[in-house]
Amino acid sequence: MSVIIMPDLVLSYFCHALKSHRLLYSMRMRFSPIASLIRRSFLTILSISLLSISASGEVSAEAGKKLFKANCASCHKLDKKLVGPALGDVTQRRSEEWLLKWIRNNAEFRASGDKDAKAIFEEYGGSVMQAFPALTDDDIKSILAYTIEGDKKAAPAPAADAVAAPAAGGDTSSPWLVYLLGGFLLINLYLLLRVRNTLKQLNGEEPTNLVEDLGVFSRILVANKRFMTFLTVVLALGFLYALYSYLMSVGMAQNYQPAQPIAFSHKIHAGDNGVDCNYCHSSARHSKHSGIPSANVCMNCHMYIDGSEIVDATGNAKYGGERSPEIAKIYAAIGWDPEARTYIEGYEQKPIQWIRIHNLPDLAYFNHAQHVSAGQIECQTCHGPVQEMEEVYQFSELTMGWCINCHRETEIKGDNGYYAGSIDGSASISDRLVERFHDEKITAANIGGLECGKCHY
Amino acid sequence: MASNKVYWKSFDQLANTEVSQRLAENEFAQDIPADVFLADERSMEAQTSRRDFLKFLGFSTAAATLAACEQPIIESVPYVVKPDSLTPGVPSFYATAYTDGQDYASVLVKTREGRPIKIEPGDAGRFNRGTNARAQASVLSLYDSARLRGPVLNGNESDWSTVEASLKKAADAALAQGTQFVLLTSSVFSPSLQAAIERLRQAYANFQHVELDAVSQSNNLDVWESLIGVRALPFVDLTAANLVVSFGSDFLGGGMAQQLSSDYATRRKPGSGMLRHVELESNLSLTGSNADKRVKIKPSEVSGALAYLVNELGGSASKVALRDDLTKALKALAGELKASNGKAVVLVGGDDANQAKLSAALNALVGAFGATLRTDKPVYIRRGNEARVANLIADLKAKRVGALLVAGTNPVYFRPDFAEAIKSATFSWALTDRMDETAQLCAAAAPEPHYLEAWGDFRPVAGEYTVAQPTIKNLFNSKALLEVLGALSGDSRSAKDQVAASATAMGLNWNQTLHDGGASVTSGSVAGASAGSAAALASSAKVAKPASGMELAFYENAVGAGFQANNPWLHELPDPVTRLTWDNYLTMAAVDALALGFENETNSDGSLDGSYATVKVGNHVLENVPVFIQPGQTAGTVGLAYGYGRTAAGKVADAMGVNAYALGVTTGSANVEITKAEDMHEFATVQLGNTMMGRRIVNEVTLADFVADPSGASWNEKPTFHTIDGHKTSEEANLWADHDHETMHMWNMSIDLNSCTGCGACVVACHIENNVPVVGKQEIRNLRDMHWLRIDRYYSSDMSKERAEDENIGGIEMYAKMEEPSESPSVVFQPVMCQHCNHAPCETVCPVGATVHSREGLNHMAYNRCIGTRYCANNCPYKVRRFNWFNYMANEQFADVNPSQDDYGRMVLNPDVTVRSRGVMEKCTMCIQRVQYAKLEAKKVGQPVADGAFTTACAEACDSGAITFGDVNNTKSAVRAAKADARAYHLLEEVGTQPSVFYMTKVRNA
Repeated sequence: MSVIIMPDLVLSYFCHALKSHRLLYSMRMRFSPIASLIRRSFLTILSISLLSISASGEVSAEAGKKLFKANCASCHKLDKKLVGPALGDVTQRRSEEWLLKWIRNNAEFRASGDKDAKAIFEEYGGSVMQAFPALTDDDIKSILAYTIEGDKKAAPAPAADAVAAPAAGGDTSSPWLVYLLGGFLLINLYLLLRVRNTLKQLNGEEPTNLVEDLGVFSRILVANKRFMTFLTVVLALGFLYALYSYLMSVGMAQNYQPAQPIAFSHKIHAGDNGVDCNYCHSSARHSKHSGIPSANVCMNCHMYIDGSEIVDATGNAKYGGERSPEIAKIYAAIGWDPEARTYIEGYEQKPIQWIRIHNLPDLAYFNHAQHVSAGQIECQTCHGPVQEMEEVYQFSELTMGWCINCHRETEIKGDNGYYAGSIDGSASISDRLVERFHDEKITAANIGGLECGKCHY
Repeated sequence: MASNKVYWKSFDQLANTEVSQRLAENEFAQDIPADVFLADERSMEAQTSRRDFLKFLGFSTAAATLAACEQPIIESVPYVVKPDSLTPGVPSFYATAYTDGQDYASVLVKTREGRPIKIEPGDAGRFNRGTNARAQASVLSLYDSARLRGPVLNGNESDWSTVEASLKKAADAALAQGTQFVLLTSSVFSPSLQAAIERLRQAYANFQHVELDAVSQSNNLDVWESLIGVRALPFVDLTAANLVVSFGSDFLGGGMAQQLSSDYATRRKPGSGMLRHVELESNLSLTGSNADKRVKIKPSEVSGALAYLVNELGGSASKVALRDDLTKALKALAGELKASNGKAVVLVGGDDANQAKLSAALNALVGAFGATLRTDKPVYIRRGNEARVANLIADLKAKRVGALLVAGTNPVYFRPDFAEAIKSATFSWALTDRMDETAQLCAAAAPEPHYLEAWGDFRPVAGEYTVAQPTIKNLFNSKALLEVLGALSGDSRSAKDQVAASATAMGLNWNQTLHDGGASVTSGSVAGASAGSAAALASSAKVAKPASGMELAFYENAVGAGFQANNPWLHELPDPVTRLTWDNYLTMAAVDALALGFENETNSDGSLDGSYATVKVGNHVLENVPVFIQPGQTAGTVGLAYGYGRTAAGKVADAMGVNAYALGVTTGSANVEITKAEDMHEFATVQLGNTMMGRRIVNEVTLADFVADPSGASWNEKPTFHTIDGHKTSEEANLWADHDHETMHMWNMSIDLNSCTGCGACVVACHIENNVPVVGKQEIRNLRDMHWLRIDRYYSSDMSKERAEDENIGGIEMYAKMEEPSESPSVVFQPVMCQHCNHAPCETVCPVGATVHSREGLNHMAYNRCIGTRYCANNCPYKVRRFNWFNYMANEQFADVNPSQDDYGRMVLNPDVTVRSRGVMEKCTMCIQRVQYAKLEAKKVGQPVADGAFTTACAEACDSGAITFGDVNNTKSAVRAAKADARAYHLLEEVGTQPSVFYMTKVRNA
């Protein structure tokens, strides 16, 4: 028996070793120190911005920052030209009175015949700046205050981080406690053995050491048939369980987290900035594929956001105020010249080669639109808390059992006209379903969602 | 008393043929190749011990298991800039026009992720909006890896500027030397191309344009040109006809530029006033198979028969003596024509000048002009002129041609004299899709875009203008003829600009026309022919005396003229009548075969062999033409299909069949000498039983009986069983639990045997839609074809149970006689796919639950559960399940036939359908991918699935509207109405399978 089992055992060990090696190779730890560092730094930024929002009201640079982000940032930066000029030193270039008029309604101001206003309009190729009649003088002054002060207020960030540091240290101290207790127990064990041997010597017996004791004990156990039968059964069951678990995991890629060509953070986009999943993965509503966004979709925002504002945990500009090298990869793919702010003519575009994380086998047909549009399932139901993931990993098992379980539990959207509408004046599908299942929950399974041919064809 | 009954296993055994004797002696059909194995000395001397073997086994098992642990890293590469009109995973449709040098059709092209993957019929109301088998299959010709990839000059790879310069230089030199510059094409009916040719004519005084139709209509065109003033054929309007008389015109199967099957089916709806169809022909064609009355006639008797009818109807033509039985049939036909009151039309096949004159005269006398034969509405698709082709050949031989540009045609293959002639051209240049027979003999060859890559426009018929647009970027370095000609005449506009200019010149909105695929225009109409001058043609026609020897009539099957000969889907599609694949052959009547010593024999494994013949027409000889004995073939005639015997088309087509064009006949028929040759040819057939053996597989009724009893009680009775409770139908005598088919949808399919002509477009459509593998000739010979949908063809037999009873014929003799088709059989076609039984025999026997029933009335097949026991196929009464004996995608054995074996061919695969691997069963799914897609689209817009919102691939491809698919739970659906019709019946109803597919009884207007 054992002769037959042995090669399999070795084999499964090999497989396992290989698999774990592959996983180590292709995955990163989910909570790597770097990731936690980034997470902390963003929490800091978030808390600062929350602070500044609450402080709005009178003329203040903090309120100005908020207004600037809301109204101006899509075309202006403090330190460099974007669609419009850099505004870092605008109060030195223009009088406050001039700026108030210009910002409130620049077209009217130009029409009034101001030479400077006309000149600046022509300098920027006649691109029209939006009018902001809703901004009060205080609002505009706040914005101007912010342009003077800039983002210097980010300095207190290290202090906040310093507060957080001891807590992190507290986490790491727990293993020491275990070692301490372990050591204490070992000393106790040693002392007890010494006491026992001392007692034996007092009785005139030979002192024994631990190894000899264990030998005697194990000989007794081996001689005990009941114990051996029990042990064999336990070992066999354990082995079978391990084998079964292993075999069931073959081909599964839960937690698969490959390194992507661009260190894209879903946390920043979907989490911190609340971008709707469907904005980038727009075809999920229409198609079987969720679609990885093409680079031109990235450019809708990243034409203006080049990552130079990202700050690290210490509150310093992460890329030294330069554009993010990750965002630069998008520019390299599509051929955007961030200095000239134009697409490069005749550029040979290079598609971004993402690594696919969720892979269903070809034999299974899955349609995103069915789940997103018809079923109105949240993306997170299958993909997990993507908005918290710095690097996306496969959250769900994506096994057939997992699919079927959800089909058994999920109620259909019976108010969809497909079910509720009647095409010929007779009972609608909804009516017929209610008649058949009465008060039962009408799940995907009840309308045939477990039939082979619904997913396999 | 011991029984002395003798049981016989096959007709062969009964007849005590050689095969059955051999079988009786030796159980195995083929010897087990033990000798071969034992004779291999090396294998006998091998030193591998049992222990070594086990070691290898253990190692390979371990290695395979280890390899299986690895998971590949899959990349996902999005667009850099995604086109607005495209969403990955959602198909886009483009209206365009299909042309392959022979056919024309208005079509809709389905593309996925920028790849054309399916051809669908064009908008309703368009001329030739249907898709025949060739139009369906044409999408694969786009991905043919045998296509020419770049320009070639003197056998070396070149570039466009060099080859174009060489052509320009030759044309200029010809102009200087006073020799001709000739453009040879197929028929040109594109306004843009005609304009470009006109500009070239202006630029070169020595320019000549010659049009060549592979299967010539030249003599017919000459007659009609003299009558209507333009080189075109009149439009046939079957919807206005009550009687169609066809002399060997295979107007349903192929050969005609105008597609008539849709109008034919419309007028063949049973009831009073149903179109009657009389066919007089020598070969048993698809069209003749559908006829209400079929008369056997030799090609040489046709002009005599036409003359007889002309005289009967009051015209004057010279008379010749005809067979008595033929005269009798013609007399009856003349009566019918007279009674038709102008609602009749006479069509004639082939291309004989005298027959053309006589048929024009006959149509004029019948009163067809302006009614069923619209002489004021010319069809421009055929324009070839054989006289000009003959002149070109003479000019070439006399070295009067300085530059020859051959574009989109293959004259060396089509005309046997051309091969010698083209060598005498000073300079020859071919714009071609592949290095074909002509291009190989040309000094330069350059790739032409496939129609799915090209801009173009067409005026196929008076009053209609259509636009073709590219649906994919050129796969290879090809250039359209419009641009090549433009460069020669100094017109640098792109093909698109040229087409847009001609559309705008007609006063059309370019974007709208492009979107719709065409528009109605006023141009192209003519005054129409005068019936008087047409009738007068009869007296000038020479009426031939019937010949006594063998005659050969050419025909076209799905391969057509041979432009798409390298398309494996067309070869895998069985000929609708002979049911043979991957071949052409001489069809011969049984009496002639007996007289000349030709044989067809069925081997014990079910495969069919036939003797070879040598065929001689004048001084043209074809060697090794296999002979197939065809019921219904007129005695004294043989038939041969065009399109085979290619030598430079690609690995699929080369060396398959014989080249019928090599006999040098352009008129469609000829006197022929046939002699027997050595050896037997191996055929690949998909159907062994030719008759229904007295069973009601195809239910048929005459029009008179149908009209007399509309309830169908007398001609569509349900089979009943004698039970303890009296007689019961199979539905009532039911042992099974029923599925819930009322709550959701219940998909049903109706197949109208009255509309189905058997053309096979649905079979090809099914192939494409469902990624059905191509298996090639040998596997079909092994009876392992993979068609999910087949069209069974049954011949009538002279024997019936009634006759056996009357004449006191015993059972054995009766069944033996029943197996033999009649000499002049009536023919029925029946498409059979998975019947989606609601009490399915296959489902109960599957040990792993791989095939299960859905509540929507479909029988599902989960490939990944299937372990390949094949119990289901054995238990299927309809024999529609197909087993993957090989991995057709990768197995070397199929490298020459399976298009999925190269990267180009794989681009045509439907991404919504799994490609099946070896060892699993497959079958019709009722296009479940389309069902699921339609339901999802309905859910997305929040509306119930409308009847007709979608249909299966076969139903969509069917020009005749024979297939109706829909939800019978929708009380207003067409399929529900069909199910309630008196003609509806289930195939093998007595088995009690309760299929979701049902058939509509065939009504013959006899």
